[in-house]
Amino acid sequence: MIAQDIPAPVFRSFRDPSGSVIRLSGRILRAVRSEAVADLEAFLATHTARTAMDCGKMVASVRVPAPALAGADYVLEHEPIPFPSYPFEWSAEMLFAAGALTIELAHGALEEGFGLKDATPYNVLFRGGQPVFVDVLSFEQRHPLDRNWMAYAQFIQTFVLPLIANRAFGLPLGSVFSGSREGIDPEAMYRLAGPLRRLTPSFLSLVSLPKWMAGKADDAALYKPTPAMSAEQAHFIVKGLLTSCGNRLAAVKPGETGGDSSWSGYLAHKSLYTPGQLARKEAFVSEAMELCRPKKLLDVGANEGYFSRLAAMQGASVVAIDSDPVVAGAIWRMASKEQLDILPLVVDLTRPTPAIGWRNQECLGFLDRATTHFDMVLMLAVLHHMMVTERIPMEDLLALTAELTRNYALIEFVAPEDPMFQRIVRGRQKLYSHLTQQRFEAAAAPHFELVRSVRIDGLHRWLYLFRRRHAAN
Amino acid sequence: MITNSNSKSFFRTLAHVFLLFVPLILASPAKGYGYADPGTGAFLYQAAYAAFLGATFYLRKVLNRFWGKRK
Repeated sequence: MIAQDIPAPVFRSFRDPSGSVIRLSGRILRAVRSEAVADLEAFLATHTARTAMDCGKMVASVRVPAPALAGADYVLEHEPIPFPSYPFEWSAEMLFAAGALTIELAHGALEEGFGLKDATPYNVLFRGGQPVFVDVLSFEQRHPLDRNWMAYAQFIQTFVLPLIANRAFGLPLGSVFSGSREGIDPEAMYRLAGPLRRLTPSFLSLVSLPKWMAGKADDAALYKPTPAMSAEQAHFIVKGLLTSCGNRLAAVKPGETGGDSSWSGYLAHKSLYTPGQLARKEAFVSEAMELCRPKKLLDVGANEGYFSRLAAMQGASVVAIDSDPVVAGAIWRMASKEQLDILPLVVDLTRPTPAIGWRNQECLGFLDRATTHFDMVLMLAVLHHMMVTERIPMEDLLALTAELTRNYALIEFVAPEDPMFQRIVRGRQKLYSHLTQQRFEAAAAPHFELVRSVRIDGLHRWLYLFRRRHAAN
Repeated sequence: MITNSNSKSFFRTLAHVFLLFVPLILASPAKGYGYADPGTGAFLYQAAYAAFLGATFYLRKVLNRFWGKRK
């Protein structure tokens, strides 16, 4: 039994009147209101739902006995997704993949008499690079004559318009979704677009016409359902609406090569490493993986995921963070193509995602999710960027690293003499003259014990494998 | 000229059509928990597009019948 032996719920969702998700001591439970049980059970029995669960596109869900939980008679337990993430941490590629999955499932459900009542990226989480639809209560039986898809506007505003804004205006998804849960509305897009762009086909139908029509939609009677003439016609119309949304999404699919940024192609073309030095670094990381055998690894400043890939290939479940959405997108494409367990997120560790939403509890902050989640943290050639660009003290960075890992940390120390360090210092050498290798080791000592270290020949760079000191020790 | 038997046949067909639609019309349309904001202008755009699709549905039927007869 659940209710009797577990303390009060940490958080319960509230938007969907059919039920709510409850996070309880690491378990994900969904309390379902009695009125919605029949629809839910019927949906879970559909070919669409069973196939999606079998291939991991929909979260696995089983009914569990919990008579007193949140006043609900019916409780589902969902398979936990290892590391929850939110649209404001996704690259454009991930938002596209989440939208494509949403439309695919909506099409399948429609053929079996079900409709998708909300179409938001918050229905989707990622297991590694694979999108997983997690809100099984989003499906309900359709009235056979219902010719509307009420979630049409939501799909456009939370999937299609953010991708258009990202492509056309370079608007980061982080800005779009951290400011509004519902993405971008046509009015906001209209203001961003110039007079000519407003008349291009995609803007005309998705932005300008809805914006011009908005003033006519004040009459509440407009929202009164108007049934189709037949069930066959209603099905045809809703299928057409879903197809249209799918086509709109496909038109803004991020390119196969991604965009270009100051961090893309860094390791291959812009770093200092000679092939021999890179091989030495790779060997050190690889040996550390063999020794530590991390199950959950955080790669900070992952760039295009060279070392995330190495860790994933050695069995780690990797969360790769970088502040650059372009390189995060490149990691996602690589992880998807090679089916590697890597979740790339657009997160800057010096400004980690805050907790947002109602009471700051709907979406957990990055550090809330990450602290002690990992048994190894990689910080390769990133510490000096955080020290110089963001002016975070080295001692604080090492303290945070110790909070993030339960066991190991692999850190590359780049000394101020290093040309790349010199490049980002831009004449402020005096500020960093104290950052010696000895100072770094002394700063790490309260948190970590040294396992092994090596200097990369010919560079002012050292690799350290640390084991975290535990309070009990 | 409408004969008595023709008239009966017409009303019988009409009744059949009506009876065909009754279960659909009466089938609990209020059931459902959709809560997504349908938008304002986007809702109207969707409604207009749905109307277009609805017309296409019948047009397609007519065309299918026409081409079907030709075959």
